[in-house]
This record gives sequence, structure tokens and C-alpha cells, in this order.
Amino acid sequence: MRGQDPVIRVQELSKRFGDKVAVDRVAFDIDRSEVFGFLGPNGAGKTTTIKMLTTLLQPTSGRATILGHDLRTEGRKIRERIGVVQQQDSFDQGLNVETSLDIYGLIWDVPRPERKRRIGELIERLGMEEFRRKPTIDLSSGQRRRLQVAREFIHDMDLLFLDEPTVGLDPIVRRTLLDFFKERVRDGLTIFFTTHILEEAEYLCDRIAVINEGRIIDVDTPENLKRRFGSAKAVEFKLLQGSSAELAALLSSSEGVTRLVQEPSTGTYRVTTARPESVIPEIYRHAERLGVTVSSIYISETTLEDAFINLVTENHGAGVVSGGRAA
Amino acid sequence: MNIYLRLVYRNLRANLDRASLFFELIFPLFFIFVQGFGLNGIVPPFDIGNGKFVSYSLFLAAGAVTLTVINGGTNAGTQLWFDRKNGMFEQILMGPFTRAQYILSIIFATLIIGVAGSLLVFVFAFPVVGASFAFSLEGALLIAAALFFGTVFFGAFAITLSVALKSSETFQVVSTFAFFIFLFTSSVFFPASSAPSAIQAASLANPLTYTTDIFRAGLFSAATSTTSLELGVLAVEAAVMFVIAVLAFRRIRV
Repeated sequence: MRGQDPVIRVQELSKRFGDKVAVDRVAFDIDRSEVFGFLGPNGAGKTTTIKMLTTLLQPTSGRATILGHDLRTEGRKIRERIGVVQQQDSFDQGLNVETSLDIYGLIWDVPRPERKRRIGELIERLGMEEFRRKPTIDLSSGQRRRLQVAREFIHDMDLLFLDEPTVGLDPIVRRTLLDFFKERVRDGLTIFFTTHILEEAEYLCDRIAVINEGRIIDVDTPENLKRRFGSAKAVEFKLLQGSSAELAALLSSSEGVTRLVQEPSTGTYRVTTARPESVIPEIYRHAERLGVTVSSIYISETTLEDAFINLVTENHGAGVVSGGRAA
Repeated sequence: MNIYLRLVYRNLRANLDRASLFFELIFPLFFIFVQGFGLNGIVPPFDIGNGKFVSYSLFLAAGAVTLTVINGGTNAGTQLWFDRKNGMFEQILMGPFTRAQYILSIIFATLIIGVAGSLLVFVFAFPVVGASFAFSLEGALLIAAALFFGTVFFGAFAITLSVALKSSETFQVVSTFAFFIFLFTSSVFFPASSAPSAIQAASLANPLTYTTDIFRAGLFSAATSTTSLELGVLAVEAAVMFVIAVLAFRRIRV
């Protein structure tokens, strides 16, 4: 259905809370069966955008059509055809998992035999068998998150909004969910997906909009973003002594270093920089002065995370960078 | 199935705590069977209107049935509170429902709890009140109207409180305190006309007074010329409180 009207068309959409601009003239189109990632740091405006697109919040200005319906005047029609997995927990506290799924299906007017069939299928597919009769109030956050996802698939929908749906999940369950989403996309579902976990965005999304301080900085495929904005390299090194807070402090304030993090499990330092040729001698110079030994050092592959950091850092408070297929 | 039926069913299943409901029924029965009989020996029968004399245990039994109306009302606030706390408020509003449908479904669920609870207490209290109960269409209509408007008022009141108050603890404390004020400035435990003037004045504004008086009038066939006026006042108070609750509800930020 690509080439037809987009599932979501957003034009100059803004939201203000008093003096604060939470979302600033964002614009994009999303096609059917596309997974569109909305990537940004905390407070960037991701959830506010979702709340507007799901008709929970009225935009301050701008226009949008969802599934061909006007956001401002046809909210009910839009909500009949979407599903939403919120960032925050949502559950009926007086019910167990299975009953909760059943009653959610009931309020969406899904016929009883169909509810029963879907509940069985979802419980098996999402690995919820062991807690299917557990009261929702007693679920762990990861179990609750799975319930939230399963619940949205009880009813029919054309478009699913996922607001950081994998928070609190272990890697195996996370992958199960992402694969489940991919399957449904192959069946025609369109997904609007917000996250700050870059590996997820890279794994799932066809295109990604990077948002910061309420503004879309760029929209492109994950591969193109990496190619265009991943000019920053990552220099990874280890110290014989494990770690050195002094060295980390010196490097963090060095010119050309965008970010420095230490991987807790391996002790590897990762320096994001556009100029590895000047940063590497700097690492050796500081290490020698502090009496620590660099045991290994290499320049690693550009990741989406490097591209993301580069984009957000370069455009902090700056204008919108063109590129991609923003509407 | 109708959209309201679906939402009401969900409210009743998801947000009602069975233990709380049980104690909401036990509470009035305690008044009927313990306090009523306890004081019956020292309080002489008195006129409740229309020349109708009843014993204190009968008087209190009728009042205690209307207590269930307050308890049912508290459930409206609790339902909304749980939904907001557990993220279901936003979740439902992102489904094919309007705010009006959602809030009305809470009111309808509250009406079911309030009216069904009152009738259940009435059934349990039948050994006490049954002998004086003479069924008439007028009486049944008065009872239905009292329970309906009373539940709407207290349901809307609890919804307003739950919107205004920021924590569940505060909601519980304030609603309990408020309902005690309603209770003790009404005619549930004693005829308001025999109370000190300050309590009499407060009882005139208190919807529980009218709920109880109209209920008694219906139950004991003791309607007077003022009963229809009381019904009018109760209906207006319920309507005003309902509007306030809707306005408060519309202000909830998501």
C-alpha cells in the first residue's frame, strides 16, 4: 500500500505547556506497514507527541491526519483503529492476567470466542503461561509490560503506538517482543515506536526521527543516519589497572571528545570523537602522566548510538538539519 | 453489547474490592441490629410525619439503609482513583470511548452498587422494618428516587474529591471525614427537627437528610406536603454536584 495516503501525516504540529514548548513544529509522514522510530533523550517530546497523535492531548497548533482522519475533529474514529502501549504501567488491579485480557477485549467489543482464541494465542506467543492466573497487582514490571503489549493485540488495529515498550524487560523477552512486532508488521500493521534504546530502533525501525528539545533534528533510515552522522568514531581502550577516575576526568574535558563512558562489565572505556587521530595520543599522554598503562586500544565501528549522540550534540539548541524524508 | 454496559461491567469487575464491599454492607447492619436495638429501650416511639409513629430501631434501620448510598458513592471516587493510579484512565481514553462515556460509566456503576447495596441491606433488615413496610407504588417511587439522587450526589461528590486530592491517603482521610459530617448532620441517627439549631441548619443543606427522609416517607407511607419539596431539593443538589464533578473531571490533565 506504499504510494497510497500515509497512515500518519503530521504537519507543523506543536504543543505548549504555558511558556514551555514541549513539541515544536514537528512534521513527518508514515506509510502503511512501516515501523517509524521516534528517538530522543528523556524529555525530548516523544511522549507528548504520542499523546497528541492518540488524541489524548490537543495540539496547540499544526495539523495531523491519522488513518485518513483529522486529529482535531475525528478523535473517536482514530481511536477505534489504533492501539497504544503506554510508557507508564497500566493495569486493572482487581483482576488476574487472563481476566484482564478478557475484559479489555470485552470493552473493545471483541466477540467472546474471538477473545478466547486470541488470549490463548497471545499468552503462548509472549511467554505468559506461568503467570496467566496471577493477579495483575502482583506482577513484576516486566510481566506487566508483557500484559500491556498482549492486551493491545486482543483488539483489531491498523496502527500501534509503542511508547518505550521494552522498559524493564530482560534481553530475551525484549527480543521476543520485537520479533512479535515484526511479524505483525509483515501482516500490515504500522508502528510508531518511541525509544531511547538505539539497538532496538536499529533492529525494528524502517526509519527513525531523532527528536531533541521538542524538534525533529533528522528523519532517515538507520543505515543512512549512521552513514551521514556517524562520522564520529569510537575509540575503545582498556587500562591494565582497570579504571582511573583522573584519566576519565581529563579525557572528558579534552577537546574533540563528545562523550566518554566506561562499560561496567568489561571495564572498557569508550570515547566518542570525530578526531580519533588526536584523541589516541592524548589518551597515551594522560595515561603516562598518571602512571597507568593502556593495555589495548582500537577504533570501533560506528553505531547508531554514535550517530545519535553526534546529532543531538551538534544540534543542541540549533536549527533543524535537513535530510531524510520528513514531510 | 452497548458501550456503557461494557464499561460499567469493566468498572464493577476491575475496580471493586470485595472485602470493602462486604464491610460496606456490614456497617449499616451493625447500626440496625446493635445500636438500634440497644437504644430502643430508652428512646420512646416518635412521629416521623403524617401522624406515623415508629420505634427508634425502625427509625434507625431506615436511616442505616441509606448509609449504603454514601458507601456506594465513595466507590465512585475509588474507581476513578484506581484508574488514574494504575494508568487505566489514560488507557481507556486512548480507546474508542469519550470522557463523557467513561465518567457516566462510573456513575452508572456507582448507582448499581448504591442501589443494590441499599436493597441488600433492606433485605437483611427486613426482620426489623418488614412489619411496618406496606408496599405502595408511591412509596416504591419515593424509595427509588431517594436512592437514585442520593447515589448520584455522593458518587459525584467522591469523584470531585478524588480529582482534587493528590494522594490516595488524603482521599481516604478527607472522604471519611466529609462523610462523617454528612452522616452526623443528617437525620440518619436522629430527627433533624429535634437537634440543636446549628445542626438543624446544617441538615437543611445536607442531601443525606433528604435522602433519608424521603426513603423513610416511602418506606413507612409517611409522605407529607414537604416530601415533594425535599425531593426537589435533593434532585437539584444531585444535579449541581454532578455538574461540578463533570467540570472537575474535565480538568484532569493527562
